[in-house]
Formats: sequence, C-alpha cells, structure tokens
Amino acid sequence: MDDFKIIRTEGLTMRFGGVTAVDNVDFAVDDGELRCLLGPNGAGKSTFFKCLTGQLTPTQGTIEFKGARIEGMNTHDIVNLGIGIKTQVPNLFNGLTAYENVRISARRKHLKQIAGEKAMEMLERCGVAGLARREVGLLSHGQRQLVELAMVLAGEPTLVLLDEPAAGMTGEERDRLAGLVTEIARSASVIVVEHDMQFIRQIARQVTVFHRGAIFIEAPVAEIMSNPAVQEIYLGKSADAA
Amino acid sequence: MERPLIKDVGFHVMILIGLVVMFGAPLVYDLFQIMQITQYVVLSVYALSLAYIWGFGGILSFGQSCFFGLGGYTFAVASINMGETTLPFALAFILPALFGAALGYFMFYGRLSDVYLGVVTLVVTLIFWKLINHTAGPEYAIGDARLGGFNGIPSIPILNIPGQPDAWLDPEQMFEVFMAVLIVVYVGLRLVIASDFGRISVSIRENETRTSLLGYDVRRHKVVVFALGSGIAGISGAMWATYQTFIDPNAFSLEMSAKALVWVMAGGVGTLVGPILAVIALQWVSLKLGELNIMNNYVLLGLILIPLVLVLPRGLVPSIRIWALDAWTIWKSRQGDPGGRRLADPKPAAE
Repeated sequence: MDDFKIIRTEGLTMRFGGVTAVDNVDFAVDDGELRCLLGPNGAGKSTFFKCLTGQLTPTQGTIEFKGARIEGMNTHDIVNLGIGIKTQVPNLFNGLTAYENVRISARRKHLKQIAGEKAMEMLERCGVAGLARREVGLLSHGQRQLVELAMVLAGEPTLVLLDEPAAGMTGEERDRLAGLVTEIARSASVIVVEHDMQFIRQIARQVTVFHRGAIFIEAPVAEIMSNPAVQEIYLGKSADAA
Repeated sequence: MERPLIKDVGFHVMILIGLVVMFGAPLVYDLFQIMQITQYVVLSVYALSLAYIWGFGGILSFGQSCFFGLGGYTFAVASINMGETTLPFALAFILPALFGAALGYFMFYGRLSDVYLGVVTLVVTLIFWKLINHTAGPEYAIGDARLGGFNGIPSIPILNIPGQPDAWLDPEQMFEVFMAVLIVVYVGLRLVIASDFGRISVSIRENETRTSLLGYDVRRHKVVVFALGSGIAGISGAMWATYQTFIDPNAFSLEMSAKALVWVMAGGVGTLVGPILAVIALQWVSLKLGELNIMNNYVLLGLILIPLVLVLPRGLVPSIRIWALDAWTIWKSRQGDPGGRRLADPKPAAE
C-alpha cells in the first residue's frame, strides 16, 4: 500500500489565455515530508502554490489534501483545512506590529488570552520576539520574512508552503531559517520553493524540479545537484560554456 | 502590548465632550441654535456610517445616501402607520441593514473590484432616487402613508417617549436624544473596531489576500461591515425624517452621498472624530456662506475644499496627529540633544 500522501495533484494545469503556467503536473508529498521545489523564474512554482491554496482555480486537474478534493474551494476554506502559506513577497499588515500580525493569525484558532501567548511563542520560535513591538512596515526584508513565517505557524497548519523563504536574508539569518524549517518539518509537512542552492542543500532530501510549468525531474538532492540537465535548465547555457 | 479601549484617554475625552455638549448646550444656546446643532448631530451619525465602512473596512461606497433615504422612508412609513416612533426607529436600522447585507452579499461574494463596487452603490442609489420620485400618485401608498413622489412625505411624527405615543419630545429633548444616539454610535463603533472582528476588518483593509490566507472569510466580514454601516446610515435617515417631520427623494440624492464622502475625506479616513468635526465645520461654513448670499454656496464651498484637500491630503485629524507626533519627537530629541534635530531635515541642526 502507498504511503499516505498529504497532498496530491493529478494532471494539474493552469492556463492564462494562451500561456500555460502549470502544465499537467502530477505531484505528491508524503505526510511529514520536507520537499523542495526548484526551478528558474517563470517555471510555474508560485502559480502551482496559488493553485494549492485556492488563490487560483486550476483550468484542469485535481488536487487532494488529506484525501479530500480541494480544487475550486475558497482560499480561507483550504487554509482552515490545514494549509499555511508564506508568500514570495512578504504579505503582512504594514500598519500593525509584528505581535499584532501574528496574533491575528493565532486568534483564528485560539481564545483571546491564549492567542496572545501563542503569538509570542511563534515570534520566539522564529527568532523575532525582540521585534514584537515594532511596526512590520519598518522591518527589513529578512525580518519581515520571519514575521510572516511566525504568522503562518500560528495558524498551526499541517502542510506548510514556503515560497522563497530565504530571499533577502543574510547568511546568518538563512542558516537560522534552515534550522527552523527542519524543525517545522518534524511536526508538519513542508514544501519549499527556493532558488538558493546552499539553502536547499541544508534542508532538502527530495527535490522536484519545475521547468516550463511541468515537472522536469524528481530525485534526491545530491542527484539533482549533480544532474547536468538540471544545471543547464537552472543556470542556462552559459553554464556549459563555463 | 495592546492598549485596551478602556485605557484610551482620547476615547474617554470624546465621551466626556459628548456628554458636556448633550447636557450643556441647551443651557447655553437658544432654541434656533439648538435646532441647528441637532442637524449637525444627525449628519454626524450619517458621516460615521461611511467613516466606519470606508475607514475601518476599506469599503468605499459612493451611495451611502441609499441607506440614509431608506432609513428615513422606513421611519416615515412605519411611524405614520403605527402612530408611534419607537419601533419605526428600530426598523430604520434593521431594514437598511438587511438591504445592505443583501446588496453586500452580491457585491462581495461576486468578487466585485473596488471600482465596480463604487459604481454599483452609486447606481443603486440613483435607482432609489428615480423610483421614489415616480411615486406621486395616490396609488403609491403603504397603509396610511402616501409616498408622495417628488413632493415627499409630510407630517412625519416627532419622536415620542417609548410606550407613550402622545408624549412627543420638544426640540431640546430631541437634541438630547440625538446626542445620546451619536454617543452610542461612536462608542459602539469604537468597541467594534477594538474587538477581534474590528481587527480583522482593518486587516482586510490593509491586506485582503493575507487575511484570506490566514483562514478568514473576507467576503463574510465585508458583508457584516457593510450591513452595519448601512444600518447606521438608516438610523441617521430616521433622525433626519423626524427632525424635519418631512422627507423627500433628495434623501437618496447624489448630493447626500457626495456630502458623506467629503466629510469623511476632510475629517480623515480611518478616524471617527474627524468626520464629525468636518460635518460641524463644513455645515457651519455652508450655512454662513448661504447667509452672505454672494454666490452659489456650493461653488464657494468647493473653492474652500480644494485648497483644504491640497493642504491636508490625509484629512484634518490624521494631519493633526502627524503634526503633534512630529512636534513631540522634535521636543524629545531636543531634550536629549541640546543642538536639536528636525524631522524634516536629516542634517544636524547648527549648534
């Protein structure tokens, strides 16, 4: 019998007019797995995430989350089933403090008093408790990434989608994030879209490479890193010349 | 970390000012002035309805007069038929709120963009205005109340003491009741805004996508906010109808909708006090310009508003807040640094 798949797509396709952003994708992630999605800009990774979270309704195909079909459902309903997403560009409430941002997320699941405690706990977990009173509009990009991650975790998702979480981070912040993502993966399934190879090496075992909206290859991280075809897709033809 | 409303000094000061005006104004002003202030109070409640949905829900309605008129006509028809005003006053909240909920359902669940939302609210108002204007014939009556078309409905009952249909309020009592309504609406809205529901509404205004990605049903929240704002506009319409003992289709007019937008813009989007101050200031200016009879007072008012918007693009109250904050920061900075440092000037000031 197959392992239980927390999420599975079959023939998932998303077209915008004549452009096919996601092309017939069959994809599955085991319960408790940490999977990385790799691919150049425009490969369809973010669109794929938007389909999984109901921000886009796929043109074709099915999406199953914990065995239930979710394609075409509203975003908030999908999130309430247990999917949390950190978007590519930090998506925060700029006029509010970091604490207030995370508390709004925690409040959905917890009573008032507990929500406040939960918010602080998540800020602590993401290493940004010291920024709790700061307005998020005044934070650096890397700090905003971590606050958004705390927001996502405060919703206690069972599947965490992270779209380029290490973008704009310093080396130290990235290393800390790698540890955090690994720690998150102990209690939830995680799918990470990332360009940073070093970061992927730090966290991933299995990697799925997207190219032109379709899955190009799915393999362990070491195999992906040494695959010349992947390097060509990812780095372009200049890599051959080099 | 969060400052509860109970500890907000400004909130208590506003209530205190409201109570002082409520009980003090009849002792200071003559009857004509009290009636004039009563009008400002009614229009302040109306301005609050838009200030809430726009400033704290991010819903820009170009047709708030639709609910103002609906409340006024609901009160007029119900009070004429019932012979008392307590239940009609409640109905003037309930019916516009229900209509607002129904309209909001189609707009927000239909995922209308902000621009189309403005157009739809505007068009619905125009439909009501046109419809009511065409109800002049005797066949257009609801019970004993003839709608009267462009002539409107005259002889609308004055507010009575609940349970005593013959105990009508005199103008001073009506002023006090209306002030109480204004205070209750202000306090109620502050409580709603400070609640979790209010925080989510503000989150939706700030970032709709993120709010929905946190698992909140954005559409449902917007419908509730819109319905609440519609109900408050309805109440102000009822106050307007009983204050004038008359209502006509102008209650649904574009002018009424535009006035609400101007008051909220001038007072500051995202505040409740600002629109109240704007109502008082602009209505007073409008009255005085009318008395001077130099030229059309709307033209003169426009000439005043244009520089006002240019000088205070954020509106009155937010601008005052920013100036006060800047002044405080400069003062604090000078306390710590004898040379001082101006916020607007990044370079250190000369010793």
